[in-house]
Order: sequence, then C-alpha cells, then structure tokens
Amino acid sequence: MNTNLKISNVTKIYPGCVANDDVSLEFNSGKIYALLGENGAGKSTLVKILSGVVIPDEGKIYLNKNILKLNSPSDAKKNDIGMVFQHFNLFETLSVFENLIIDSDEQRENLKEKIDTIMKKYNFSVDLDVPVLNLSAGQKQKVEIIRCLIRNPKVLIMDEPTSVLTEQETSELFLSLKKFSEEGILIIYITHKLKEVMQLCDEVAVMRRGKLVSVSQINNENIESLANKMVGQNLKTIKKTKEKTSSDQLIKITNLNYTSEDPFETNLVDINFSLNRGECLGIAGISGNGQSELFQVLSGEIISNKNSIEFNKNFIGDLNPQERREYLMAFSPEDRLEQAAIPQMAIFENVALNNFKSSNFFNNGLINESKIKEHSKKIISEFNVNTDNIDLKSQFLSGGNLQKLIIGRELITSPDLLICFNPTWGLDVGAINYIHETLIKINEQNKSIILISTDTDELLKLSDKITVIHRGKLSKIMNAEDVTSEKLGILMGGGN
Amino acid sequence: MIVDINFVGLIIASIMASAVPLILASCGELITERSGVLNLGVEGMMIIGAISGFALMTVTGSLIIAVFGAMLAGVLISTIFAFLTQTLITNHVATGLALTIFGIGISAMIGKNFVGIPGKEFPVLFEGLKDTIPLLSPILFGHSIVFYFAFTLPFMTSYFLKKTKIGLIVRAVGDSPESASNQGINVRLVRYACILYGGAMCGLAGAYLSMIYTPQWIENMTGGRGWIALALVVFSTWNPIKILIGAMIFGGLTIIQFHMQAIGVRIPVQFLTALPYIVTIIVLVVISRDSRKIRLSTPSSLGKSFHKDN
Repeated sequence: MNTNLKISNVTKIYPGCVANDDVSLEFNSGKIYALLGENGAGKSTLVKILSGVVIPDEGKIYLNKNILKLNSPSDAKKNDIGMVFQHFNLFETLSVFENLIIDSDEQRENLKEKIDTIMKKYNFSVDLDVPVLNLSAGQKQKVEIIRCLIRNPKVLIMDEPTSVLTEQETSELFLSLKKFSEEGILIIYITHKLKEVMQLCDEVAVMRRGKLVSVSQINNENIESLANKMVGQNLKTIKKTKEKTSSDQLIKITNLNYTSEDPFETNLVDINFSLNRGECLGIAGISGNGQSELFQVLSGEIISNKNSIEFNKNFIGDLNPQERREYLMAFSPEDRLEQAAIPQMAIFENVALNNFKSSNFFNNGLINESKIKEHSKKIISEFNVNTDNIDLKSQFLSGGNLQKLIIGRELITSPDLLICFNPTWGLDVGAINYIHETLIKINEQNKSIILISTDTDELLKLSDKITVIHRGKLSKIMNAEDVTSEKLGILMGGGN
Repeated sequence: MIVDINFVGLIIASIMASAVPLILASCGELITERSGVLNLGVEGMMIIGAISGFALMTVTGSLIIAVFGAMLAGVLISTIFAFLTQTLITNHVATGLALTIFGIGISAMIGKNFVGIPGKEFPVLFEGLKDTIPLLSPILFGHSIVFYFAFTLPFMTSYFLKKTKIGLIVRAVGDSPESASNQGINVRLVRYACILYGGAMCGLAGAYLSMIYTPQWIENMTGGRGWIALALVVFSTWNPIKILIGAMIFGGLTIIQFHMQAIGVRIPVQFLTALPYIVTIIVLVVISRDSRKIRLSTPSSLGKSFHKDN
C-alpha cells in the first residue's frame, strides 16, 4: 500500500528565532527523501514535529489524506511514524531487550520472536542481554532501528544517522535503508552531508534559516549545486598549500599509558608519536575510542609520567594545564560550553580564565577589569567574533562565535602548540571555513597543531600527518597525502 | 557460662525489629531515587508518619485507621514535595531539606497534646508458635504484621524493579527522562507516583516507631533514622537486598553497643554510639565496590529536574 505524507504550511517560532517558516512538503513511499540543511536550518525542528516531540504553532500534517494530530511521541507511534534520533534515545543502563520491550505492548516471547525475525531478515546482530552502554554507536543505532521496525512503520525518519558511524557502518546502513524503501517504507533522511544525499536519496529538499529553499530530483543536482543552495552563497574552497616541513622536533610522546578507574572510559595503551614545528598531526577515530582521554592527558587534566611527554626539550608529563600553558601549549577542548568556557560568565571573564599567571590581568589578587576588557576586544576584532558586547554571557554566543573566541583566546598568547578536539563540531559552513583558515595560518607561522577530530574530511584537509585512534591505541603515523578516507574508515573500525 | 540459646534468638529478633523502620523508609526512598528524584525529606516524612499514627490511634482507637492514616500522611506531605519539584521545578535538595525541617516542626506542634499518653498494644502474629523451635522461634514468630511486611519488602522491591514492566519504566525514567519522554512515557506522572510511594513507606516507618517499636510519642523520636535510611540507599548502590544487609548491620551494632554500655566496657560512650553509623557505611562501601554494577544501578538523572521543552 502506498503511503503519502504531507506537511502543509508548518510554522514554529521559538523566542528570537523562526525555526520553521511556512514549510510545505510532500512525500510518497517507495522513495528515499533527503532533508538537507546546515545546523540551525530547521530540519530537526521539522522532524521533531513529525515525531510528535514538538508541537507546531501553525500548519497541518496529513498521512494518506487524513489529518494527523501529533501532540506527543505516542501519537506518532500510533500513526506508524518511526524516528531514529541523532542523539540516541536509549536507556544506557537497561539491557537491549529491556529497551525494546519498554514501549511494546507485546508479550515477552512474541516480541523475542519478532526481534529475531527482524535481525535475520536484515542481517543485524546485537546481543539482547547486554546493557546498551556496552554497545558501539553502530549497534546502538541498530537497536533504535529495530525498535521502529517492531511497529511495522509506514514512515521512518532518520535524523543525522551517520554522524557517529564508520564508513563501513554507513554503507551497511544505506543498504538496509534501501531495503526498507523497497518494502514500501517511506524514508526521510535528515543530513548536512552532501555526499550521502547523492549516494542514497531519490529526492532532496533543502532548508535554510527555517525556510524551504528547494525541492528537486537528485538527478538534477550535484554536490556543488546542493552546497550553494544549502549555504545560500558560493563557497570558496580552502586548501592547505604544502610547504617544506621543518625537522625541528617540538613534542615527543613516549610510551604514554593511562588506565582509567572508570570502566566506561577508554584506557590509553602505549601512545608514541612526535611532531615537528609547523606541522599538524590529525588524530582520527570514532568517538569514544579514547580521544577525550588522550586530550586530557595531553592537556594535563590527567597527569602522567613526567618523562612520557617531552615538549620543547622539557619533560612536562607531570604538569597541570596551567603549568603547561607557561611552556606555550594551548588547548581547545571538545565541549565548548562545558569545558572551554563557563556559560554564565561574561565574555571578558572567560578570556581571563586561561591567563591566571602569565599576564597582567590581576594585581595582588584583584581583577584588573580594564586590562582584560582591552585584551578581549583585541581577540574579538582579530578573530572575527561577531559581537560588540564583551559583557555578554558566553552562553548567548552562537557555537561558531564561541569557538572563534576560544581559539582566539588561546592563540593570542602566541603558543607553540595548539591541541584542539573537534574544533568545528556542530558549526555552520561559514564558521568552519574560518576556523580551518585560522588553523592553516598558524601552521604557516611555524607553530604546531594536534587536531583530534571525528570528521575525516577536516583531517584530510588540515593535517600533514595522520594517525587513527582505535580502542585507546594509535595506528602508525602516516603522511596525509598517502591516506584516503576509505583507508581511515578501515582503521577507525579496527581493521588494517 | 551457659548462654541460653533462646536468649540469642531474642537478641537477633530485637536487632531485626530495630531494622524495620530503616528497611521500610529505605525501600520507599529507593523507588523514588530510581525514578531520578532525590528526596531528602525522609526524616520529615517519617516523623509526620509517627505523629499521625500515634495521634490517630489515640483519637480513634483503631489501629488499622492509624496505620493507614500514617501512610496517607506520608503521601500527603510527599505530595507537597512532588508538586514543588515536578510541577514548579524547584531544586530537589533544597526542597527535601525544607520538607524535613517542616516535618519535624509540625510534628512537634501536633505532638504537644500526646506527650506522656501510653500507647496501645499492637497485635502480633503466630504467638502460639513462640516456643516450638529453639533459637528460630523468637526470630520467626510473634511479631507485628509490619515486621513481616518489612522483611519481604526488599525482595518485592527487587522483583518489581527487575521483572515488572512498571519497574522497567521507573528505571528508564531514572536513567534518561529525555529518552523516556520521547518514547511517550509520562515522566512527570511516573515521578509523582514514585515520590508518593516513597512518602507512604516513610509514613509507615514512622508509624512503626511510635505505635509498635516504642509505643509512645516523644518529640523528635525518629532521631536521625531518616538520614540513615537515605545513606543506606546510596551506599547500597540502589540495591534493595543490600539495604536489608545494611539495615541489619546498623540495627545489630546499635543493639550491641547498648549492651556493651550496659556491661560497662571501657570504651568512650560517644565512640560506641557513633560506631553503627561508621561501620554500616564502611561495610556497604566494601561490598559495593564493583564500579560496573554501580554504573548500571545508579539512576543517571538523580536529583536533576526535568522539564519538557516545547
């Protein structure tokens, strides 16, 4: 039976932002639809409306010509709309089976049988009795998909499903999605990755700033045309110009190990690498393979053996972050609002936070506000942070502006090494371009970068050397020119 | 020296009796916390239960009305907490502390008229079997119905959480209220129910104290048992069976230190009185050291307010 889903004139307004502005779209089963847009374009709001999580201010949804009332997630379920969220909606401490039975009305045995059938049919293998927190991201996603399939959905919505997957897992997912589509399930695929749209989808709708800007057949589009529609301007492509690399060693890590007390952290095993001045070392990997532990060890949040880190001919493994900064290291942690900045504090106060000692911000323990403000203004103008108000609480800066502020705060002291962790995660294309340009610039100034990132395209663009972290171990260090994203994908999944 | 084996049985029975209020309150609070709500008002809810039970017994003369009335009083006072934390989204810790202070104050006020009034005898079960088996008889027989209920409660709680669908939903809400809400579970409703259930159990624990354990009303008669119950929940790592163990150790040490004081052991009294608190916590920490299990049984959202954004 054919399924027809129609969104008619949907508007959703949040204070200070129109998330969906009069959006109308129509979908038919048998096809895979892409909903494309940058972060903040309104895709997520739209699918949350379809899954009953968010109630629109105006507009109607029709399923097979019947008007749908979606006031809660259970309404969406009742109407056979299944949704796999970007941030998994699973209960980490419950077993896989408990996660599946919790919203099912079926008897234990019937449900088990049903799950077995689904897993056989689509070639999924997930252990039903282990707690979800022991699963890989790919397996968690399979649990989410199984949860939807149990209800025989007419519509399946996937919200940015590949952001946590390896290349191999992604192609497996695509095969499954094509199979679902052949079986008559209407698939709506939300993403900001253009390659995936071209690979998987039949039709594409592009959103920008809450508005629908185009709907077209995939055959009439290519990556460039979609990128321009998504961003709304012609994008310049930045590229690193390969210069001579120096042989002047800046940092050397020798036999660095870290064993965590927490069983849900990853242990680091025999980390060895060295980096010369003016180079960028990219560390690839699927999140949760020891990146945050590695970042903490390198930044001094976790202290290690004194001799395991040699920086500029000093052994600094036992120093804390503040002391490491004095040796001219700088850090940009992954979570901007949790680790890099304090959301409730003003911009200028955040600027002062990483400069307790090596500056004239404090006189006898008192804050020298005018000096800090002067310094903050310098950062804001030099690093293109889009605000005039340095008294603004940092939580009100957009992700891109906050990241520029943080990178600026670190770089203005002119460090020899910048260690950054997912510096462009969740940013829009404009801000990503700016950050990338800045990182290339500091390499050109003969300063070094350690870039820990889950974005392989970013790594291939910026790195001189690349390594992959998998279960707390680094692969061998490779020259970036010799590496392809396929090769990285294999290493990220633990292959050779 | 010949030790009468029945005397040993009596000591064990008295240890168990002193553990009853701790088991009841802890198992109630455990359900509340498993849903992600931290209610520090246990002491307050217990004392409200204690005065309500005693007052109702004196006024109506009916033990049944008194026991259920005490539970109802616990439910009512926990409704205040639930309304504040779940509907008005106030901070769990501050609200819970306020609840305790409120409970102690109001119980003292109501209790003024009941000081010095003797309690009533509470009926016991299986009294006829008291002399049948040496050692075991005093342990097994001749106790109030609340006593038997308390010792089955940890097992029922464990079964409820592990084997029933509602138990699963409670754990899910405590693990991730956001996910639960997206799954169509009414998080607020589940949390209300868990808070009210916790209130009922604390009310019953209080009634046990004022009607069965020491049948009289004394101001502040819970004497910190609510705080111990809270500690038991945390240090047992939200495991009802370990709560039972912890409550027995605490009860045991309390009774034994009384006897040691009576015999005149030359250890400072203050140290003896403090002993049960320290030892119970040490033992529970030692038997709960498996950090994997702790992670699996700790409600991740404990004490965090949840409000659905729309």
